[in-house]
Amino acid sequence: MGTESLAQQSSTVKRQEEQLLVDRCQRGDREAFAQLMRLHEKQIYNFTYRMLGNEGEAEDLTQDIFIAAFRGIRSFRGEAKFSTWLYRIALNQARNRIKYLSRRNFFARQARRADYGAKMVSESPEGLADSAPTPEQWTITKDLAAQVQECLNQIPHQARQILVLRDVQGFSYDELSEMLSLKPGTVKSRLHRARAALRECLAGKLE
Amino acid sequence: MNCGKYQAQFNDYLDGDLSPSERETLQYHLKECLPCYRKWGSLQKTHEILHQLPPLDPPEHLSAVVMARLKDSRFRQRFWYPANLPRWLPMGVGAAVLLLISAALWQVMPSQYPWQSLFPSSRKNVATSPGFSEKPHESLTIRKRDFDSSAPVIVLRVKDFSRADQQLQSMLRSFARLPLPGRQSPRSPHARSARLFQLQVTGQRLPHLLRELHKIGHLDQGQVESQKLANPGQQGQVSIRIVVVSNGSDVEIRQLLREGK
Repeated sequence: MGTESLAQQSSTVKRQEEQLLVDRCQRGDREAFAQLMRLHEKQIYNFTYRMLGNEGEAEDLTQDIFIAAFRGIRSFRGEAKFSTWLYRIALNQARNRIKYLSRRNFFARQARRADYGAKMVSESPEGLADSAPTPEQWTITKDLAAQVQECLNQIPHQARQILVLRDVQGFSYDELSEMLSLKPGTVKSRLHRARAALRECLAGKLE
Repeated sequence: MNCGKYQAQFNDYLDGDLSPSERETLQYHLKECLPCYRKWGSLQKTHEILHQLPPLDPPEHLSAVVMARLKDSRFRQRFWYPANLPRWLPMGVGAAVLLLISAALWQVMPSQYPWQSLFPSSRKNVATSPGFSEKPHESLTIRKRDFDSSAPVIVLRVKDFSRADQQLQSMLRSFARLPLPGRQSPRSPHARSARLFQLQVTGQRLPHLLRELHKIGHLDQGQVESQKLANPGQQGQVSIRIVVVSNGSDVEIRQLLREGK
């Protein structure tokens, strides 16, 4: 009980500090924005990487997200958490970038490259040892992480975003429904379908 | 066994949202049913893999690059613009102002189409008489508000409307040497067979005009309001309306005159 209230207190303090930074930022303080960015850049970068599956693209998209956030920070009224607001921007920007990249066959080229890479790994002796993790251990090897990413790239982007937000980044259903402007029931059913799609894809790859 | 019912609970089980009794029933079913157990196993593994995906560190230069890009004027915040107003507002206001200006120009410009006064050479659909030097501001169309609804009406009945219409336009241009209004109502179903003109003419030239009209078609004497024509205005000018109509019924004439009011 004591630990919980401490955790609550610390999260309230964190939120208040964040709000102060946002206030400064809304008055045009760039240093405050740099601090806000340092607080959230890792989460946003991981989200964009899981959405796009490519480090260079993820970096570009993260930059664009923070620039859009800076430009629109005056519209943030503090009704939701700052991270929720930032993720809304991230989701919009990611959706647009995925559309743009899909039109240029980026994901198809990425998949071909991944197939080629996997072949090279499986033919090398180190690759053989690396690509056979025992099911009991389930430590994520580089190869397995790449296969998961490949499967994430293959499922529809709506399913991908919900899986990344919930199962990779650990957001609650309430936070998800706020970010995606969906009812919690809809979020749940979409997540279930997304999990099933990823399970099928991974089962095919890991068997 | 109702496997579908149990499989529908897998996700709630993963999220820890099942009640203790539901959890127990599901666990019991999984012990008994191999296909469900396999499906559950692979779903659980997928979930664990996603949970264990190692977080990546963003590039060290990321925030420096963003801050450098923010210094670029293109990405500066617009502090002069109130944050609670929608972003489309300036564009909307701009569009509304443009529309108003266009509407005002439409009213003010004397041509049939506003761009015709800007590009006089594009006025190809206006009949002109030979030797008549066309001035850009002259037009054969008048606006509704310019019609004088009290002006006397002369009805000119013709066989070939389009020919007579052209002849009349040429004649009136050379006769009056004034911006000559003509109205062919777009709303009228008879728009191709009737047209209303209005012009001002001095009392002295009126008989000459009537003679010219006689050459083009048959003047309906019943409609010529000679009483009004006999009394020119203050400056000796009289305003008259001429309706040219082909085999027209009175309905067409009335409609044109009504629309011209």
